[in-house]
Amino acid sequence: MKKNWWKALAVVLLVFTVVAGMLSNVPRLAILNETIRNLYFHVPMWFGMILILTTSVVYSIKYLRNPTVKNDVIAFEAAKVGILFGVLGIVTGMEWAKFTWGEYWSNDPKQNASAIGLLIYFAYLVLRSSFNEQQQRARISAVYNIFAFAALIPLLFILPRLTDSLHPGNGGNPGFNTYDLDSSLRMVFYPAVIGWTLLGIWIVNVKSRLEILRQRLYETV
Amino acid sequence: MRLFRIVALWCFILGSMAGLQPAKAQPAQTEVELSSAQQPEVEMADTLRQEGKIYVVVIVLLTVLTGLIIYLVVLDRKVSRLEKQMRD
Repeated sequence: MKKNWWKALAVVLLVFTVVAGMLSNVPRLAILNETIRNLYFHVPMWFGMILILTTSVVYSIKYLRNPTVKNDVIAFEAAKVGILFGVLGIVTGMEWAKFTWGEYWSNDPKQNASAIGLLIYFAYLVLRSSFNEQQQRARISAVYNIFAFAALIPLLFILPRLTDSLHPGNGGNPGFNTYDLDSSLRMVFYPAVIGWTLLGIWIVNVKSRLEILRQRLYETV
Repeated sequence: MRLFRIVALWCFILGSMAGLQPAKAQPAQTEVELSSAQQPEVEMADTLRQEGKIYVVVIVLLTVLTGLIIYLVVLDRKVSRLEKQMRD
């Protein structure tokens, strides 16, 4: 029970996110209107994805240094949950964009870059499924995972900032800067990021333990 | 133990709801004055949050969240039980 305090923390933070996210005061901005509350649900998907994919890369590097089944399983499960968060992020972003930018997909640099990033990670899943031999699969996908992560960071954080983007904080767009300082937004946004990320890590935790159990079962049978 | 946790959770929800409401009541008026003085009025769902049924939305979202979390907790316990069986 003592080891699981962070799961309780995730539940508390998510409940707080939903309640405060809907009821708290938010800055009054034209076009955005109440959709600014999506900040508590869309943006944490991306923050969560980055943090969970970082976990995945760390375990991939650990696997290359110390090839155990556990390291491989955690790297793979974290990558899958990270991809899930990314897909949710891109879908929620499209829904939000339709009503504020006018189009589901307006070829915004950040939209395009995140789509490319996700495709790179889809290739990771395909690559992984194309090996039969466990050690070969684990080693090659660990190496690929490191390259995928190294490609994702410039795609999401550097390239969109070099051109004009509809996304706040990119190009000449002041975007969130005008209300980034708003403490009422931050007060819900940071707990939301931590809550959603912890939920993702919880899913990784359960899935990895199940997968390790399954592999151990195959060994003994 | 489980009952205690559920009660604690609901106390937290009610507490956060009660904490938010008085905080909202006061600034609502000053903010309207501000916005009418400075810029064209920005549409927000004020009436929806005051007399409207936004709490229904909060309850629905909480129900969905609770359902998903209970599902995850049950899954977590099943895996723990399997781990214990494996160790024995």
